[in-house]
Amino acid sequence: MTRRSKRFDAPLPVLEPAEQYAGQVLDARLHLLDRQVLDRDGVPVQVVDDLELSDVPFGESIPSETPAPVIESILSGPVLGTRIFGGRPPSSRFHRVSWDRIAEIGIAIHLGVAGSTLDVTWVERWVRDRIISRIPGGHHDPE
Amino acid sequence: MKRVLGVALGVLTAIGGFLDIGDLVTNAVVGSRFGLSLAWVVLVGVVGICLFAQMSGRVAAVSGRATFEIIRERLGPKAGLANLSASFLINLLTLTAEIGGIALALQLASSVSPGLWIPVAAFAVWLVIWRVKFSIMENVTGLVGLCLIVFAVALFLLGPDWSKLAEQAFAPSVPGSESAGAYWYYAVALFGAAMTPYEVFFFSSGAVEEKWTKKDIGQSRINVLVGFPLGGVLSVAIAACATIVLLPRGIEVSSLSQIVLPVAEAGGKLAVAFVIVGIVAATFGAALETTLSSGYTLAQFFGWSWGKFRKPAEAARFHVAMIVCLLVGLAVLATGVDPILVTEYSVVFSAIALPLTYLPILIVANDEQYMGDARNGRVTNAFALVYLVIILVASIAAIPLMILTGAGA
Amino acid sequence: MILSDVLRSRVLDDEGRSVGIVIDARFVLDGVPHGPLADARLVGFIVSPHTGSSFLGYERHDDGRPALIARVLRWHHRGSFLVHWEDIARLDETRVILRPGYRRISPALLGAQRR
Repeated sequence: MTRRSKRFDAPLPVLEPAEQYAGQVLDARLHLLDRQVLDRDGVPVQVVDDLELSDVPFGESIPSETPAPVIESILSGPVLGTRIFGGRPPSSRFHRVSWDRIAEIGIAIHLGVAGSTLDVTWVERWVRDRIISRIPGGHHDPE
Repeated sequence: MKRVLGVALGVLTAIGGFLDIGDLVTNAVVGSRFGLSLAWVVLVGVVGICLFAQMSGRVAAVSGRATFEIIRERLGPKAGLANLSASFLINLLTLTAEIGGIALALQLASSVSPGLWIPVAAFAVWLVIWRVKFSIMENVTGLVGLCLIVFAVALFLLGPDWSKLAEQAFAPSVPGSESAGAYWYYAVALFGAAMTPYEVFFFSSGAVEEKWTKKDIGQSRINVLVGFPLGGVLSVAIAACATIVLLPRGIEVSSLSQIVLPVAEAGGKLAVAFVIVGIVAATFGAALETTLSSGYTLAQFFGWSWGKFRKPAEAARFHVAMIVCLLVGLAVLATGVDPILVTEYSVVFSAIALPLTYLPILIVANDEQYMGDARNGRVTNAFALVYLVIILVASIAAIPLMILTGAGA
Repeated sequence: MILSDVLRSRVLDDEGRSVGIVIDARFVLDGVPHGPLADARLVGFIVSPHTGSSFLGYERHDDGRPALIARVLRWHHRGSFLVHWEDIARLDETRVILRPGYRRISPALLGAQRR
């Protein structure tokens, strides 16, 4: 039982049944991309702009039995612009949070570490030190 | 007492949405030109904002996520960025107008030129955002803003022909002196004003500021059902006052003193004192709401730490962004532009931001992972879908109508 | 490799015919645990024959609400399928090329796995 798709020239056969998996399933766009990343104390750290996967052969044939890549880190920063408009910044410009820092993935991504230990929060700390600290009352707790 | 003050968030959100300086002027203009024949639009708008504000409040209470975080997550970064740009511009234009509006209201009270009040107003807004606790801010501005009820009181004191007013409201038609194009332009403008996206951004972020949880859903509902209808009623009261006093004399609304004229006629100096206090509080509250919304939307899109409940040192980019917005607003006002004219153009950006804001809210309010068993029911979904269609129609019609009628001239 | 290198790439079968566009990538947490979470291993890519945008994933849930929106989006993504990593022959700048005899699997997320 095949149908011809109007826009692509290959016929569409019936699909095999859906799979069950032995672990939490994450679809990148549904569950990871554009999700908020919170640190151990619930303070927002970044939004997931992109994902860095372990290296696989690119631009050449992939030998069979090559193991599937894994997610190495979640990325933010300049990758947002290139995700929207195309292209790719040099990898030294990525703000990375490596996968082993993540404690739990639900409707947001919860890290097991405090935000101040991460490189990615340097902009926040810079703004805090250079600007906010110069204004009186910047460290006043409103509660 | 806590129950009474517990609706402050809803009241403040509504004040910023329905009774800010742009709306005060628009309602008076509409009343002085169209009578009450556009009152039905306010009703449609109030029902719409109640529906969606309640959804976004419920989502924030159950999941702890404020609306703009959800917008990027559901629409993706491209559409999210489009919404951010449009919303940010609306916020910036509106906050500029509000700062100008505070100065204009203070001029009414003191006869000191608004140019001198503008930096004072901007500084005061910043100081409250920097330092004052969220709940104190909302309680004080919300309560004092309620002085605007004097418009409703003035309406009764003016002893209008109620049957004539009712006829205009319930059997609306385009008045002879106006074109159908101008009628529909103001219909879209009033609807857009009732459902301006920064109301839901502020309300849902306020819900997170207040640390609402699942058991506060009822509280959220009360806030919505008290605040927005009240805002709507006062909007119509302002229009009705203008209808009774300004329309018969063909007075055009071009300054704040004309808006206040009906109150002066009805209640004399005391009433005017109340209304000025109310207008100062309402524009101040609207300035707070739009400035905070600028901060909330930027921070939530980019994933920055945000919230007045945090020390400024722990939400550094959030606070710096708002300071920059206030400075830009000051710069725009320093050019001498009429602040109220500025808000007319924000209708254009509303047209883009409206559908991109409300569709994701509806989607997430149905999401099982987010909401568990607090998902939308069928009836809510049915109403929401109808409103999405209305919103789409309004957003498509806004710009052509604006061009065709020269912004309702 | 970063994910957006692959998302929205055109997918071709071994004879060079277009079968769709990559709209998503599926991972499962069954790798070696290096931290609190197990490694997220790529299962494969989700390919849509009709469009490059994923738009809310309604095609993978079977009880999406509101019903009207769900129906429109499911129609929009009809024919989407999952293709396993083992069936990928080559990843290029803008194309993904499949091995001969690749399997098309329903992309639905079942029961408890649906989040």
